[in-house]
Amino acid sequence: MPRAPLILALATLMAGAGPRPAPAWRNASWLNAEKPVTLESLRGRVVLLNFWVFTCYNCTNTVPSLVDFDSKYRDQGLTLIGIHTPEFPPYSGEHDKGNVQRALERYHIRYPNTQDNDSKTWDLYGIRAWPSFVLIDKKGRIRYEGAGEFHVGDGSYQLWDSRIRELLAEQ
Amino acid sequence: MSGWRRGARVGALALALAGCSRARNEPAPLSLRVEPATAETRLLLVAAPGWKINARLKPALEIANGEVIRFDAPHLTPDSAYFADVPWATIPGRPQVVRGILRASVCAAGEKVCRAVTMEVKTET
Repeated sequence: MPRAPLILALATLMAGAGPRPAPAWRNASWLNAEKPVTLESLRGRVVLLNFWVFTCYNCTNTVPSLVDFDSKYRDQGLTLIGIHTPEFPPYSGEHDKGNVQRALERYHIRYPNTQDNDSKTWDLYGIRAWPSFVLIDKKGRIRYEGAGEFHVGDGSYQLWDSRIRELLAEQ
Repeated sequence: MSGWRRGARVGALALALAGCSRARNEPAPLSLRVEPATAETRLLLVAAPGWKINARLKPALEIANGEVIRFDAPHLTPDSAYFADVPWATIPGRPQVVRGILRASVCAAGEKVCRAVTMEVKTET
């Protein structure tokens, strides 16, 4: 098959597939939440997942932007969830719930966070680097994904901000 | 660190890259150098050009006996996030072979993300 029609056929197939459903996480350990937060319970809300770890400078540099999103859009239907995924084995201290709690306090994080100590949710979403982001629409579909540090007001911040507003505006 | 480095003989090194758990199929951003000294062996973790090593999560060598050795360096970048010098660790004596799992958190310049690298290492001094 010639290359151009093949590419066109693949593109058509991909376009027809549309956004894929977000996989349901099953993490048991949560902070800033009275009980485990499920994807099912968030249907009707826009969800921004942030895969991070407190030992990652790029992650903690991005937290002020996420705190800002939470402050601006929580009441409008955005739920931010931190997925705290360690880089190293437990000797690093990244698996320790007390250490994660102290990091939440240090960076003024009030949105729910879960410990992904076995990296199951990381693997479920095919994440490869810290920090990473997955934006899920009100129907539970993955609409945007990305990675990398950003700061309040910069280009990446504005891009994520516009994506959040776009999904909040949808029915 | 430069004082001892000048006088040390760089040992033969066999580095086996068994896989980078989070950066698979990408060139190794790190290499390990072995420099035998008088009473101990020094291991230096060298970042490839364009890569930085996260100092908030000190690199670790998990050696065969279960011991974990952490790498460190006296100088950090101004933001205290990365090593400004080559981080190093020491192991006692002069073993003929050092074998273990090396872990490091690395960041590529301009990419603004951290990646975890896991390498199986076997060094001959």
